[in-house]
Amino acid sequence: MNTFDFLMQGLSVALDPAMLLYALIGVTLGTAVGVLPGIGPALTVALLLPVTYGLDPAGSLIMFAGIYYGGMYGGSTTSILLNTPGESASIVTALEGNKMARAGRGGPALATAAIGSFVAGLVATILLALVAPTVVKLALVFGPRDYFALMVLAFVTVSSAFGDSARKGLISLFVGLSLALVGIDQLTGQARLSFGVPQLLDGVEVTTLAVALFAVGEALFIAGRRSAADDQVIAVKGSVWMTARDWSRSWKPWLRGTAIGFPIGAMPAGGADIATFLSYAAEKRASPHPEEFGHGAIEGVAGPEAANNASAAGTLVPLLTLGLPTTATAAIMLAGFQQFGLQPGPLLFATNPQLVWGLIASLLIANLMLLVLNLPLIGLWVRLLTIPRPWLYAGILVFATLGTIGANPSPVELSMLLIFGVMGYGMRLYGYPIAPVVVGLILGPMAEQQLRRALSISQGDLTTLVASPVAATLLALAALALIVPLILRARGKGAVLSQLASDED
Amino acid sequence: MTRPAPRTRRPDGATLIVALILAAVAVVIWRDAARLPQAGGYAGVGPADVPRWIALGLGALSLWSAVEAFRQGRAAREPQNTGPILWIVGGLAAQLALLATAGFSIATGLLFAATARAFGKRNLALTVPLGIAFALMVYLVFAGLLQLALPAGPLERLVWSLLRGAPE
Amino acid sequence: MKQTFFAGLIAAALAVPAMAEDYTIIAPAAPGGGWDQTARTMQEALQAEGISESVQVQNVPGAGGTVGLAQFAANAQGQPDQLIVGGYVMVGAILTNKSPVSLADVTPIARLTGEYEAIVVPVASEIQDIGQLVEMLKADPGAVSWAGGSAGGADHIAVGLIAKAAGVDPTKINYIAFSGGGEALAAILGSQVTAGISSLGEFKAQADAGTLRILAVSSGERIEGVDAPTLKEAGLDVEMQNWRMVAAAPGITDDQKAAITADIERMVQSPTWQDALAARGWADTYLSGADFQTQLDQDIAATQAVLQDIGLVE
Repeated sequence: MNTFDFLMQGLSVALDPAMLLYALIGVTLGTAVGVLPGIGPALTVALLLPVTYGLDPAGSLIMFAGIYYGGMYGGSTTSILLNTPGESASIVTALEGNKMARAGRGGPALATAAIGSFVAGLVATILLALVAPTVVKLALVFGPRDYFALMVLAFVTVSSAFGDSARKGLISLFVGLSLALVGIDQLTGQARLSFGVPQLLDGVEVTTLAVALFAVGEALFIAGRRSAADDQVIAVKGSVWMTARDWSRSWKPWLRGTAIGFPIGAMPAGGADIATFLSYAAEKRASPHPEEFGHGAIEGVAGPEAANNASAAGTLVPLLTLGLPTTATAAIMLAGFQQFGLQPGPLLFATNPQLVWGLIASLLIANLMLLVLNLPLIGLWVRLLTIPRPWLYAGILVFATLGTIGANPSPVELSMLLIFGVMGYGMRLYGYPIAPVVVGLILGPMAEQQLRRALSISQGDLTTLVASPVAATLLALAALALIVPLILRARGKGAVLSQLASDED
Repeated sequence: MTRPAPRTRRPDGATLIVALILAAVAVVIWRDAARLPQAGGYAGVGPADVPRWIALGLGALSLWSAVEAFRQGRAAREPQNTGPILWIVGGLAAQLALLATAGFSIATGLLFAATARAFGKRNLALTVPLGIAFALMVYLVFAGLLQLALPAGPLERLVWSLLRGAPE
Repeated sequence: MKQTFFAGLIAAALAVPAMAEDYTIIAPAAPGGGWDQTARTMQEALQAEGISESVQVQNVPGAGGTVGLAQFAANAQGQPDQLIVGGYVMVGAILTNKSPVSLADVTPIARLTGEYEAIVVPVASEIQDIGQLVEMLKADPGAVSWAGGSAGGADHIAVGLIAKAAGVDPTKINYIAFSGGGEALAAILGSQVTAGISSLGEFKAQADAGTLRILAVSSGERIEGVDAPTLKEAGLDVEMQNWRMVAAAPGITDDQKAAITADIERMVQSPTWQDALAARGWADTYLSGADFQTQLDQDIAATQAVLQDIGLVE
């Protein structure tokens, strides 16, 4: 049998009514938890694991996959409408998406996110079916030095997308990097900046920081405004649906997002959040209207949303082919496989082709289900914005704290939520961008660890950092990304850009 | 960045404070790093090195901010209402303090009411019970269906015993 | 199947946290990890076998379990319905994190399950057996990079023990800590490091598929289905098990301790527990009473010594 026959056979497994039901339950639950800040797909799958014990393996794995895709999708809704990302992979979506929603374009933003997620999910799942073994070989070529080079590239490209003032963007980034130092150093077990508080030994949780800076900070900022009546959010202006212009501006970012998200998701040390950062930076560079970024550019929603779904599919590549879980959700899905006595790994495709292809087929179906479920709901979601503010923000804070309490009911964690919330308020008040803090917290430790691992393997030889072709190429790209704008600016071509930047300051 | 003449002669207080905070954080990180054993091992880069680089970066940004504060001068900012902000911060603090003893619903209900108060719903006699009822509903869904371990207080125990007492 | 699923959901909905639950098990880790799975498997088995009517699992994650352990020691004092799951990693974490609370502050009941460490290389590697690896280690310890789990964890400790047994200075080992979750395995498969070390379960599938070569295992005797010698056979006096255990609250009476031990023993012998162990590939290494206490004391002493040797603990 060839791949196509297997896929057809898989589809017939997945189209079984019971399987469809599992997929439906999965995507519904996934979307629901994705919407809630702080409660991600990983936690949901972990909590449901014991419930599924003793059930049909195929069915429950299909349900977990549905939760995964649904969670990736659901996170964007609150990002766009309420500026409250559900998980770290949808933080970037909030940047442009929420600006669109405030201008009454929440409908198109949600639509481009939904369709982008669908397109990316579809393409990436097909790629998963066709090229998984090849992709995984390429992913294994990436060693610590190559990851370090990738992080450098991410820092350089992402920091160009930080907003108007270089000083403020860098300060935010360094605040994130400083927070990233808190906790046990992975490589030596030394406690850094934990001041003897045991709860700080595990460092600052990304979701806690993101929920605090975005949700709590936003609530404080809106509440503190004296002229609250003036900036009433417009729920819908114009069409709820995407216009022809929205379509023409969205399709390329969808495909670019997929192209970025899938391979990065497949890398053992990649991750959906990095994919979204890179996609946002790429869209800002590729856009003919870079000045619209920061004011609701649809490309900035379409690209990252496609990237995070594509990376969700990418994550399944090492999980299914090597048994390597590369995200928390994948790790728990692995536990799910093991619960049924299945060992994902190089032999799974050979020993359990029906299950694997059934899973891949049901991902396709779950993806379609998500689109069908969510497009009609957009009109309803947008109405969230019409809820009177006292109830809306009271509800947001209840769910924001619920996520933190549910994941780790420690007073230290809640105190962090409060402190970072106030910090988020201060940053908004004085015009410091929020996203770089989270970027620093996520990328900082990865860059540090990969650098030290690479140097440790080479026994301190610095040339190792450029000794692999992948690392050398990535570092060269990073250098170009840093130097080219400087040259352009020196030759006067950046004049318009810097003019715009200083106007906004 | 080339700027026109400063708007006023006085330095911008907010930017100066940012410069001070950054300097303070840099000092804290530097001193913490100094305490760590320099166990670079084969890498040559140990646990204290990256913190030092970051502290240096923070120091540089602190200087930049201080210079900017004097060059740019005071910027006009929208005045803020402190009342609502204190209500929300107070609501979060109350939730934090009460969570372990009073349970999820009561603590979170108070947060709900305080937030609503900050946004103009002043009638606490209405919003507190409403908030507690809402939080209890959330609790039942998440603790019951998803088995999420949320702190239970007297109210949750009462509800569970009522639910359990009911005939199946 | 559909019915079973809904029955499951409804059962979960009805399995409400009760006012006086029989047992509360603290899993000192986030949902999904090994300790959490152990706690939830216990929950399942205790309930299914009717040993306890209602069991609650609570996650208190943080710092290798020491946050949960400290909270447990402080709050559960004298309460016979409180249990905590823990393991070998906790022994190391207590030392490296300078935790004020140790396993002496709780009442260990029994070792439940354990995994042995395996030393592997990619198939393409020129290293054919453990003897060759040890020779390389002796010649230039820095040139042998080891990929494994977090610093001070079971994998790191095992490398320290191996170096010591081979007569190599344990501070000279070139151990590269990965955050687990398969990252170390990826580095090994990609030939980024010389060798890898982790629980056998992490490598078994790869070895069966012929992409990794298992050089040795850390068990006392050869393991069925694994074509590799023990470290002892290779002349290295190292035997270690990354075990998981259950402990009760401090300050309980001897009668209460005996009752809990009896409940756990019933659970361990039950078919539900045995089936769950088999399904998850966990070895049954049940050990209780004085034997377990002796083993625990030995492990703590050995771990302290090797962590000092590696230089992680003063």
